[in-house]
Amino acid sequence: MKQRERGCCIFGGALAIFMLVSPWLSAAELKEADFLVLHSQLQPPRNEPWRTIPWKITLIDAQRIAIEEKKPIFIWAMDGHPLGCT
Amino acid sequence: MLQARFVPVAIDQACQRRQQDAEGEFYRKIAGQGPRNNFQSTTQGLYVATAGGRLLLFNNNRDPAKVQRLLKETLARFEEDTAANSRAIAIKRGKVDARYNVTPPAGGLVVRVRAKILGGYEPTTDRWQAVFQNALSRDNLWISAAEHQALLRGVVASSLQQRIARFHLVDNTRGEPPMWKAKEIRELKMKIEGHRILGQATLRTASGDRSYQADLFGVIEKKAGRIVRLDMVARGEFQGEGPYTRNAPKGKFPLAISFSLADGKEAADRIPPQGSRGWLPGYLR
Repeated sequence: MKQRERGCCIFGGALAIFMLVSPWLSAAELKEADFLVLHSQLQPPRNEPWRTIPWKITLIDAQRIAIEEKKPIFIWAMDGHPLGCT
Repeated sequence: MLQARFVPVAIDQACQRRQQDAEGEFYRKIAGQGPRNNFQSTTQGLYVATAGGRLLLFNNNRDPAKVQRLLKETLARFEEDTAANSRAIAIKRGKVDARYNVTPPAGGLVVRVRAKILGGYEPTTDRWQAVFQNALSRDNLWISAAEHQALLRGVVASSLQQRIARFHLVDNTRGEPPMWKAKEIRELKMKIEGHRILGQATLRTASGDRSYQADLFGVIEKKAGRIVRLDMVARGEFQGEGPYTRNAPKGKFPLAISFSLADGKEAADRIPPQGSRGWLPGYLR
């Protein structure tokens, strides 16, 4: 094979390989800046008052503390967990 | 008032109304005194009870001023009956219903998952609609010990990929979402390159009425044989809604979902994943 043909083959092979992997490289290059912004936007505000409430997650624990502290029990009962997805 | 005058507890009543143990019995004792006393259906609401299990208040109102007034009135009634209130005995936990008393896998990881719709809603002046439209949801992803070890080796195990797709690439911003069936995963690939997590997912029901096509990008770090950072975002177009997540934006809309390693400092870090309710082995397989 002549040197120019070998050079073209090498270049063509490299280009083919680059095109095969480029969707992943493109995704990484396109997404990193978005990821940093989005990830910080998808965090809850730190100063929400309801987050300062000392929620228990079992009634048994709440009942024991209610006896100790002589307080009534407030139950937030939902479909799905109130501290979770809904 | 909730911090100082009450013992506040938050529960998924779908568990407690079914649990066959001391926890479930105490809940049904309280809820059974209220209007939602058919335990075959929802008992959702706000309850105030004494430690002895006497119901003082049931309400399902979302108006903060009304709830505050009701709580003040209830406190006054509670404090009138101090003799009765002092007779309660602490309930022993005893044998628990294993279906609803689950803990994260030993040697695994807990990851906070939050979803938000980025656009597509019609403008609204309704304050309650605005709450749903701006909601940031919260769930937890549990990762097994074997999957944790695979991450340390630079591999996102197939079981973990499936769990992320089926149970966490969902729109849970307005209520309990329908999860994806395994056959509704049309495309799923996730891989680790260096410290980056890259992925793509396409989920679609057979009828096409619900779908999500998303790219995933994240960062992962390890130290001393443990994953110490796992931050990831899925972003793409979602379409459709479920029976308990009505009023989604019309057509396709941008939905983003973030993943962050939990540090155990939030009460919500201890909540089992929504998709594991009553069925942890199925969630983890």
